Amino acid sequence: MKKPSLVKQIIFYIAIVVIWQLVAMSSVWPNNLFPSPYEVAEDLVYTASDGSLFFGIGTSLLRLLIGLTIAIVGGMLLGILMARIETVNQTIGSLVLGLQSIPSVAWVPLAILWFGLTDGGIIFVTAVSSMFAITISTYAGVKTINPHYIEAARNMGAKGTQLATYVLIPAAFPHLISGFKQGWAFAWRGVIGAELLFSFLGLGFLLNVGRQLNDISQVFAIMLVIMMIGIVIDGIIFKRIENKVMSRWGLR
Amino acid sequence: MTKLEAKNIVKYFKHDSHRLKALGGVNLQIEDGEFVCLVGPSGCGKSTFLRIVAGLETPDEGEIFFDGKPVTSTGPERIIVFQEGALFPWLKVQDNVEFGLKMAGIPKEERAQISKRYLDMMQLTKFADSYTYQLSTGMKQRVAIARALVMDPDVLLMDEPFAALDAQTRDLLLVEMQLIWEKTKKTILFVTHNVTEATVLGTKVAVFSNRPSTIKKVINIDYKRPRLVDDQNLFPLQQEILSELRPEVKKN
Repeated sequence: MKKPSLVKQIIFYIAIVVIWQLVAMSSVWPNNLFPSPYEVAEDLVYTASDGSLFFGIGTSLLRLLIGLTIAIVGGMLLGILMARIETVNQTIGSLVLGLQSIPSVAWVPLAILWFGLTDGGIIFVTAVSSMFAITISTYAGVKTINPHYIEAARNMGAKGTQLATYVLIPAAFPHLISGFKQGWAFAWRGVIGAELLFSFLGLGFLLNVGRQLNDISQVFAIMLVIMMIGIVIDGIIFKRIENKVMSRWGLR
Repeated sequence: MTKLEAKNIVKYFKHDSHRLKALGGVNLQIEDGEFVCLVGPSGCGKSTFLRIVAGLETPDEGEIFFDGKPVTSTGPERIIVFQEGALFPWLKVQDNVEFGLKMAGIPKEERAQISKRYLDMMQLTKFADSYTYQLSTGMKQRVAIARALVMDPDVLLMDEPFAALDAQTRDLLLVEMQLIWEKTKKTILFVTHNVTEATVLGTKVAVFSNRPSTIKKVINIDYKRPRLVDDQNLFPLQQEILSELRPEVKKN
């Protein structure tokens, strides 16, 4: 990120907070529906000081991590098989497209019936809501590999899992990264959505508690946290990996 | 001793809906240790012929014999070097060179010993830890040649490996290629559209006709080495090859 854009961003966010404060003070909306930034900050400090915020963040992130790992492993495996074996593509491929179109919260009733109100159920929703996006981008990534890479590797004796681990996956990596990015976004929606409905720990649960207690500051605070985590993971972690991959693979 | 024999190789290209006969029965016999250059008008299928020898494509008719046995698939005794090298951008130069050895399950220390020899031979030692995007086109081709030689193949198949190089780099590599051939005693099959290149490198030059291609003429070159591109004594041979080629190019 370039310096001038950072300055612009800081000014932008300060402006938002100022406008937000002004709107809250103007009492266009009653205070129990629209809290001031100060009240939200206060709530954040409070939930942070009793540890419940960090416990919530930790729980959600752990579920995300486990669910996303399952999705990445499963999604990549399925994507590679689809790209390399035409029959798999013609059969499972169409099913994957269908499954991908199911919104993540639509998996929740199934997950509750299968797993009960457990971590397992939430992880299931997380995994299944991100897996098929990863499958599709893996498929596209492997399909667009320079065929000479694969031919050279086969010529030098690589086949089967060797070919997949040493050539197909690294060669498709620039594609895979954007798939992981998309997958993570779906997974994050999945975790929060599932936690809301399961009402069993995590940030989604805290959000729901805020609603039940009519505590608008908490609702705002938790939403802010969810967004900030999104910015950090997307804008910092993925951006770094992406930049590195792009230059290493000679794409920039 | 005959190393490679092509018997009546026929290959069709799929061109939209109709089939185009690219190779119309290619016959060629190559003795152990020969340096054979294949020249022909562009699109005549000389590269396809090389790919068939490599086992990356199957002929529609005819057979390739390697040491008297029919070729059915690709194998490390026939290593191909592609025009753009097809180096793996996710690997360092040394790891690229060691790729085939790794696939063969050779332990790390042994791999390093073997690759060192070829990195030295191709004057790449300084670049062992570089990534391919940091190399010039000429350097990349050196890596590609080292990667092929490391496999210690009986036959080296080169598909216009110098076509994308600038003149100076190419002239240098043409001399080096002769030294490598003399040092390693490999059988080399070298596809080129450049007649000068063919006469400088080859012990034999096989001229392909236009589609459906057959080998129109084989010219033997028995002349001292290292040959240079501006050697006047090679001019008559070049003229002879060009006079064979010219009518074929016109048919195109």
